[in-house]
Amino acid sequence: MDNGINSYMTSDHAIETEDLTKVFRNRWTGREIRAVDRVSLQIQRGTTFGLLGPNGAGKTTFIKMLLSATHPSSGAARIFGGDARLASSRKPVGYLPENHRFPTYFTGAGMLDFYGALSGMGAAERRRRSTELLERLGLKEWGTVRIGKYSKGMLQRLGLAQAMMHKPALLVLDEPTDGVDPVGRLEIREVLRELERQGVTIFLNSHLLVEVETFCREVAILQHGKVALQGAVRDLTAAPGYQVTAAGVPDELRRQLRASAPERVRDGFVQFQFTSREEANRAVDLLRCHGCEIESLAPTTSTLEEVFVRTIERKR
Amino acid sequence: MTMLALIRDTFREALARKIFWGLFALSTLMILFFLFLLRIDIVQGATATISLFGMDEARTVDAARLIRRVYGAIATFLYTWGMLLAVFASSGLVPSFLEPGRVELLLSKPVTRGQILLGRYLGNLLVVSLNICYLVAGVWLVLGAKTGIWAPNFLYSIATIIFLFAVLLTVIFFIGVLFESAALAVMVTVALMMMSPILAQNRVAEKLLSSQWSRDVWNGLYHVLPKAYDMGRMTLDLVYERRAADLGPVWSSAAFGLVLFALSFLIFLRRDY
Repeated sequence: MDNGINSYMTSDHAIETEDLTKVFRNRWTGREIRAVDRVSLQIQRGTTFGLLGPNGAGKTTFIKMLLSATHPSSGAARIFGGDARLASSRKPVGYLPENHRFPTYFTGAGMLDFYGALSGMGAAERRRRSTELLERLGLKEWGTVRIGKYSKGMLQRLGLAQAMMHKPALLVLDEPTDGVDPVGRLEIREVLRELERQGVTIFLNSHLLVEVETFCREVAILQHGKVALQGAVRDLTAAPGYQVTAAGVPDELRRQLRASAPERVRDGFVQFQFTSREEANRAVDLLRCHGCEIESLAPTTSTLEEVFVRTIERKR
Repeated sequence: MTMLALIRDTFREALARKIFWGLFALSTLMILFFLFLLRIDIVQGATATISLFGMDEARTVDAARLIRRVYGAIATFLYTWGMLLAVFASSGLVPSFLEPGRVELLLSKPVTRGQILLGRYLGNLLVVSLNICYLVAGVWLVLGAKTGIWAPNFLYSIATIIFLFAVLLTVIFFIGVLFESAALAVMVTVALMMMSPILAQNRVAEKLLSSQWSRDVWNGLYHVLPKAYDMGRMTLDLVYERRAADLGPVWSSAAFGLVLFALSFLIFLRRDY
């Protein structure tokens, strides 16, 4: 499938921002709120990127600036190397907004046709593509039904179809699985995986950290409008450490091991958390010498949720 | 293609929100009113009796002249009625597309803000224009068929009504984009329409107003604001086959509309959604 990616070869980055800032000023009081504060991000083409942050961190404002719905106070944003303020730069972008309000007078097919036309697609191509997408997203029987009758989950799927209509090279999805049941979520994830395989860059803004962790390769955490943490999910969640779980550990040995590793007792087992493999191996030798039974030895990782909470608390 | 899609979308919304059908139904009601309640009999080619609601007013007049007068009265009525209907019908079509969750999606597409605003404007104008054509042409056909006297000049009122509506629609767009309020858009537009006949009495005002300053303000407002009243008089002149004395109101109203649309565009261009 041609996603039009070849047409946008001017940059290796799907999204690039440079000190992007948005300051909202109250006209009467003069009070300023820095919703986004000098955010510089470079998102490689073809990657899956998650933007995280607590409520009011500036995520949606950042997305709106990318898509020119909101004007930056300073800084610059580029989409595939093109100035994000230009309408032509938005041609390779598909967008699903959070809290969308699709006009209820549309049928599913009618809505896809309208947004497809705005993206510059011809009538025949729109007809073919909308049929294909309605089927792909499980809305085949609903194409001729007014969307006022759609459930929240169906609207999300239709919204995703709308974003995919013109085969964009960059998909910007703001809470794409909001209101979707677990099966629907899985289906959406499969669709997104398929797009990722085709080389589509996916920019995801979601409150569901598990979803971001399983789907995205890179993340950035925004807090108070600034990037608090950024990196590959694998690196951020890989806390260097090893956990040794053993049974029948004498008190003296526990005291000795506690000096180098924090310990906790769970279900009759003692768990020691070591920061290096060497320490963990030495502990195993000691435990075996004392006739203790080793239940497990495993490298430990953090969940993205733990990373997120740690980051937010550290920056608070 | 994008412009056509935006026009079609406005049209579709007007259909779905029953705006188009509401205008159509009220226009039909008006046509039926003239079809059944207004009776004009031509007697011996030169005399006529006009009967409205069963009350006869027998006069011996030239039939063609009488019909032209009837056409003029009807044109004035349609001018006011049609304009009010159109303003009420259009007021909601601006705030609706600026709703959060809808406007961002429109803006994310590879279309300029100017195209979005112009597409919406043209779509709105098309909805109203079709109804005005139907209303005026329908009444003209009914009157022509009933009297046997066809006054093609009556059809000029289509152009003047649509022209004035196009000007007033810029007010609706300006208020809509600035405040996103349909009610306020109607209030301001109707107020401008109602002020027009008052402001047009600038000769009387010259005599009544004591200070030069207040006369200048009056004249300034008269010259700047759209001239619904003068355009109405121009419509009558056209129906009566008289030469319009002055085309000034057309140009000044058009200039007002252009300036206001440009301002709406600038506001829409700079606004954050």
